[in-house]
Amino acid sequence: MLTLLARLLRALNSESGAWALAIAFVLGMIMGFTPLWRVHNLVILLIALLFRVNLSGFILSFVICSGLAFLLDPLFHQVGFAILSAEGWQPVWQAMYDSAFWRVVQFHHTITLGSLVISLAFAPILAIVSFWLVSQYRRRIQTWFNKLRIVQALKANRFWAIYSNLRG
Amino acid sequence: MEQHTVRRSAFRWPGLVAFLIIVALIAAFSWLLLDTILKWSLERTLGTLNGAEVNIERVDHQWVPLTIEVSGVQMTDPLQPDFNRVAIGELRGELNWEQLLLGRFHFEQVVSTGIRVHTPRESTGEVYQLPSKEQMGGWLGEGMERIQLSMPSVDEVMERVDLRTPTAVAEAKESFGEQKERVQDVLSKLPSKETIAAYETEVKQLTESEIETPAQLRDKQQQFAELKEKFAEDRQAIEEFKEVVGGAVDELKTQMEKVKAAPKRDLDRVRELMQLNSDGLSEITAVLFGDQARRWADYMLLAYEQLAPMLKRSADETAVQPPRGEGIWFSFTGSDAPPDFLIKKARTEFAIGPTVLDVNWENITHQHEQLGQPTTFRARGENNALWSSLQLNGEMALTATGFDARQEWRVQGVNLVRTKLSERSELAATILSALLDSEGNVALRDSQFDGNATLRLADMVIEASAENQWAAVIAQALESLQRLDINADIKGALMDPDFSLSSDLDRQLGQALQAAAMDAAEGELTQLRQRLTSEADGFVGDYQDDLSELTNLLGDAENREARLQEMLEMKLQNQLEDKVKDKLKGILGNN
Repeated sequence: MLTLLARLLRALNSESGAWALAIAFVLGMIMGFTPLWRVHNLVILLIALLFRVNLSGFILSFVICSGLAFLLDPLFHQVGFAILSAEGWQPVWQAMYDSAFWRVVQFHHTITLGSLVISLAFAPILAIVSFWLVSQYRRRIQTWFNKLRIVQALKANRFWAIYSNLRG
Repeated sequence: MEQHTVRRSAFRWPGLVAFLIIVALIAAFSWLLLDTILKWSLERTLGTLNGAEVNIERVDHQWVPLTIEVSGVQMTDPLQPDFNRVAIGELRGELNWEQLLLGRFHFEQVVSTGIRVHTPRESTGEVYQLPSKEQMGGWLGEGMERIQLSMPSVDEVMERVDLRTPTAVAEAKESFGEQKERVQDVLSKLPSKETIAAYETEVKQLTESEIETPAQLRDKQQQFAELKEKFAEDRQAIEEFKEVVGGAVDELKTQMEKVKAAPKRDLDRVRELMQLNSDGLSEITAVLFGDQARRWADYMLLAYEQLAPMLKRSADETAVQPPRGEGIWFSFTGSDAPPDFLIKKARTEFAIGPTVLDVNWENITHQHEQLGQPTTFRARGENNALWSSLQLNGEMALTATGFDARQEWRVQGVNLVRTKLSERSELAATILSALLDSEGNVALRDSQFDGNATLRLADMVIEASAENQWAAVIAQALESLQRLDINADIKGALMDPDFSLSSDLDRQLGQALQAAAMDAAEGELTQLRQRLTSEADGFVGDYQDDLSELTNLLGDAENREARLQEMLEMKLQNQLEDKVKDKLKGILGNN
């Protein structure tokens, strides 16, 4: 975990694009919120690995959001239930239900659909907020942060050694 | 210095390799662990459908054709977790690939062998959904305790019964006392023998004395008239006495008869009250044959009792998947779409003792309305070790209102060998050998049973033993049975059928038990009879003399009355006049 944090800090302090980090957080969030053994997660994993998305941010986001998902499952279920029960959408669902592709996607599972819809709805917000935070960190906080006594002290311990090794 | 920046590609090609490796690893794990995953999934799904723990020994799969083989399935009976509702030796089914990709489980052919019902489990199974109390306390299992045989002791009956003998004796004694007093009252007014004799002497003197003159004649007539007045008074007293004594004698004779009859009446009443209290005796057929009939019914109603609840639960999404934490799988199957689950054909081999019964099924599903056809089943078996002929046909369908089904069966020449009816210590009974014929039909409408069946047992040899006297009577009666016809009515809800068994055995045993009960009480009844008879005889002995005395008194009174009557009817005047005339003739003649 220390290694993961160190990698994230390194990414924050590196020249990696802020969007790369923001998208990593978003992809990690979607994969963390939705049930793991679903086909769409393979697609997300493919995107995260194939494109230059920051993997440390992706993994950290996935771990944190997986933990949050346990708390949010009832909400996901309620949202999924409401969507799948909506009268106006029944023809769509029936058509999708008759399709092998969508059955494999398992859209008809309340938590799967609810968590995916909430994740996708939250994705732009998280992306913009993440981009802004990373930018602000690099612009304002990074220099000030490095001058802090506590940071200076930390540089003397193991965490800094890991961080330095990564750098090296 | 000019800086050259190289724009990196948006793609990270090594990442694609990593992705492929990850996918390959997942596929490899799934491949290797597929059987285990299937085993867990089946145990969990079937356990939810069954409402209790399901254990599977092994699951194997084959890709072409897509086949699943399951071995050693044990489905816990939620009502009796120490037993399996059904145990299946082997189960093999071929899945349709195309339908599977559409999320439908369509089995072309399923073969299941080694199916047994009610087999003991190695360990108690976990129950996920507790059955209701009504289901647990069903129609059987209470057994002999339902037959509460008890007979009141003679002392208990004596407390309840109002004995007539002592009352009759007491009333008779009181009546004797009263009548004696009345007799005593009139006895003093009764003219004594001496008085009567004195009257006779006076009359004799009057008639025999010499009369010389008409004046003497007048005197005599006067005296006789005075005597007659006395006679009349005394005769009145005698008549009064006779009336009182006669009434007393009649009354006392009546009382005496009552006292003599009272012991018999009391004994009859005691016998009447000493009827055997036989609550539940009318259910003796159900108690004795209930457990075994239930076992037979388990096979006969297997389709309903085992398969129907599971199909019903499988149609209920909320029962299969709890909503919290796990979500719900919605089904958007159209009314004309193929069912989500379908076994087109199945052959199941039920192991019944040493014999195997093949049952052929068609269209097993929980979505009969979509399929447009019911699930049908047919069993045939002839000339094997257990029976000479067996035919069973039926069909069932799950509709919006519940289960609709019907079933008919006819089984002949079932060889029953050492079939235990009751293993309880108070009454153990085993059919050593018998031939069973049975036929019946049952319908299920809106999940409610309605049907009847007959079970004819012939050439029966029963071995029975018992602890107490009543059970011993039952045991004796059972051992004497050679044939027995049992009628069974099947009513009630799908998962809680109510079987009522009845036969002539109830009446036969009732009579035997009643006779045995009276035999058992005969000693005490004899003592009671002796006591009552002695009481009555004692009274009769004591008061018979008094009655005789009164009767004698009545005789005396009648005698005295007769004598008085005779004297009253005497024509004294004529006699005296004749005497005077004779006298006068003598005087005149001599002159």
